[in-house]
Amino acid sequence: MNFDFTAAEQTFADEVRRFLRATSPETFPVDGMDAGYGSGSNSRAFMKALGAQGWISMCWPKAFGGREQPMFMKLVLMEELALAGAPFGPLAGVWQTADAIIEFGTERLRGEVLPAVARGEATFWQGYSEPDAGSDLLALKTEARRDGGDYVIRGHKIWSSHAGIATHGLVFARTSREARRSRGFSMFVVANGTPGMDIRPIRSLTGEVYHHEVFLDEVRVPADLMLGPPGDGFQALLNGLDADRFWGRFYKAPALTRVLGQLVDYANTTTVGGAPLARDPLVRRRLAAIAAEIAALRLIFYRAGCLIRDGAPLTYETAMAKVYADETGQKLARLGMDLLGIWGPLREGSRWAKLGGQISHLYLTTLGHTIAGGTAEILRTSVAVRGLGLSAEPKASAEAKAR
Amino acid sequence: MDFRPTPAQQILTKTARAFLRQHCPPELAQRLALDEHGFDQALWRRMAELGWPGLLIPSELGGSDGSLLDVILLVEEMGRAGLPGPFVTSAVVATSLVIAAGSPAQQKRLLPELAAGTRIASLALVEETGSFDLEAVALECLVPGRLSGRKLFVKDAHVADDLVVAVRVGGAPSLVVLPTDHPGIARLPLDAISGEKLFEVTFDHVEVRPDDLLGAVGDGAALLTSALRAGSLARTAEMVGGAQRVLELVIEHAKTRVQGGRPIGGYQAIQHACADLVRDVDAARGLLYVAAWRAAEGRSAEADAALAKAYAGEACLAVARRGHQIFGAISYCEEHPLHLLHKRIQAASLDFGDAQLHLETVARAIGLEGRP
Repeated sequence: MNFDFTAAEQTFADEVRRFLRATSPETFPVDGMDAGYGSGSNSRAFMKALGAQGWISMCWPKAFGGREQPMFMKLVLMEELALAGAPFGPLAGVWQTADAIIEFGTERLRGEVLPAVARGEATFWQGYSEPDAGSDLLALKTEARRDGGDYVIRGHKIWSSHAGIATHGLVFARTSREARRSRGFSMFVVANGTPGMDIRPIRSLTGEVYHHEVFLDEVRVPADLMLGPPGDGFQALLNGLDADRFWGRFYKAPALTRVLGQLVDYANTTTVGGAPLARDPLVRRRLAAIAAEIAALRLIFYRAGCLIRDGAPLTYETAMAKVYADETGQKLARLGMDLLGIWGPLREGSRWAKLGGQISHLYLTTLGHTIAGGTAEILRTSVAVRGLGLSAEPKASAEAKAR
Repeated sequence: MDFRPTPAQQILTKTARAFLRQHCPPELAQRLALDEHGFDQALWRRMAELGWPGLLIPSELGGSDGSLLDVILLVEEMGRAGLPGPFVTSAVVATSLVIAAGSPAQQKRLLPELAAGTRIASLALVEETGSFDLEAVALECLVPGRLSGRKLFVKDAHVADDLVVAVRVGGAPSLVVLPTDHPGIARLPLDAISGEKLFEVTFDHVEVRPDDLLGAVGDGAALLTSALRAGSLARTAEMVGGAQRVLELVIEHAKTRVQGGRPIGGYQAIQHACADLVRDVDAARGLLYVAAWRAAEGRSAEADAALAKAYAGEACLAVARRGHQIFGAISYCEEHPLHLLHKRIQAASLDFGDAQLHLETVARAIGLEGRP
């Protein structure tokens, strides 16, 4: 057992901290809202700054312009960025897409898209969900029809985060009718602005735009923009979603640590009924208890990270970690609202807003976290079935009949 | 970063699991819990033959130079088996106090026998306030002189040869180590649901000589802080091991108990509960290992240990309680193994400080100012 970083990891953490001090992440212009996951706002300029440091591509093979750094360096980077509240919104998604392109991308994707990713210029929206395909993703209706050297995509995607400011969509579509429900799907990397693609914003309960719906009306893409083997995209997607659960939530614990620190400061400097809030035994206990949860959450992610690093099999770890991350975030947001009381609901920019209005934003955004990327219910079932070996519930009767 | 125990630690854990499966089956744990004396001399001797009580003791005094992390991994297995007895109070807490503060004569007299398991010691700390907070210790003692008063919740006092007693000497927190056969010492049993053997120990004009002092006058608080941390981590390990066992039992039950034509584990209501149990156990274990590792490495571990104890106390108890719900009526029976694991977790969550005490340590560590 050893819970220290290696000397190289520690050196890199120090380097990231120096970079953050020198560049002041809060000064970068913001293009898309902070969805509360812990990776901050979406800032193209900040992504480019990370690209300029060589940090986006640092773990790639040298043949693709990387430096073949160990995977743990990405954890170190994300932890430092999240602790500082930096706007690195799309980084985790960008990494995953790049890894998929390196693993099974065509020459075209590797040649055209990867360099832009490394520079921090390319970011991606996920075109997975559809109006009638949420938790039951395989119910999706979007189809890609082969036409000579192209595919022609037709369908309707929804809940695509920051689709309006990304450069490409990852569109998951049916490419053939097969006997097995999970076969016949493929993934396409489609540049925003491709004719036939109509991206429309959905205003969220925060008052800002985060999600989009995307109408794909005879969108023609060359066949070599398909990512992964044709018809076998579902397994690739599942693996991707598994990784998504890990990479898309790894930074939650450090981000919550940062918020906790702000709440502690608030409790230390706020007087309620003539006494400092920090002296209220219940406040002390609740803050301490959630500090313990955040510490446990961080370790759960690092343990999963070690398993990934060591190539050990994962069954339930990332699904469990995601649920825990999301529910701990919701708990902290609730506690924050309780502490702030009447000031809690005030938004960023409002007169009298406390802690920059961040807590009300966190309170609202975290609501979506146990829904997005696999609901807490789907994931708990996955922990039980894949992890503990409990038998799956029989499928709903209508579906059974359909088959 | 590496969460895996060393190969030597894996062997220790594996040996312990096999040994305890053979020599401490649930029926034995149950019988000892119900029995008033509740101490299995033969089992204790076998554990001593494996060198367990001497793990923390230097080899030149009969021990095996193990680390606190080794002990924690071992106690996790003990918790998993529901092993009763004085291991934590004697081989972890009292032993580490003698190692830290014993005079050469005391060490030579006590440690080889503690290592061999032929001597058992316990800690007498808590008084009528019920608090593990060292400031709550009020029992005054003149050295040399006579000690009169009482201590509560002294674990396994009936089988202890010595008691390390937390006292105040002229107001200064201090420790004395007294043989239990000293005239004037009486041990009166408490009756707790866990079946753990707890005692009120009364001292009636008990003679205390200068060489009974363990460490210098005034060193008591510093010594106890570190020993209580070791005890606290050991009790946390016991909870994690116990919760791990509950989880295993629950999953087995969910796979085999058929209702409505399928195993109950095929229902989402049960699946989701089981998923939460895995999280609770994994999370508690992670915090435990980090804290034990830090303490074993000689780093500051006060906040980590407090965090682990407070978290595990809540999480492992939640596992046990939900375990009952998943098992249903059968787990309400005395002959079923679940309730004893539950009661042991409950007892361990209180020993060496409850969640409230430890959360206050955490509160200070995260920067909350002042005192409640």
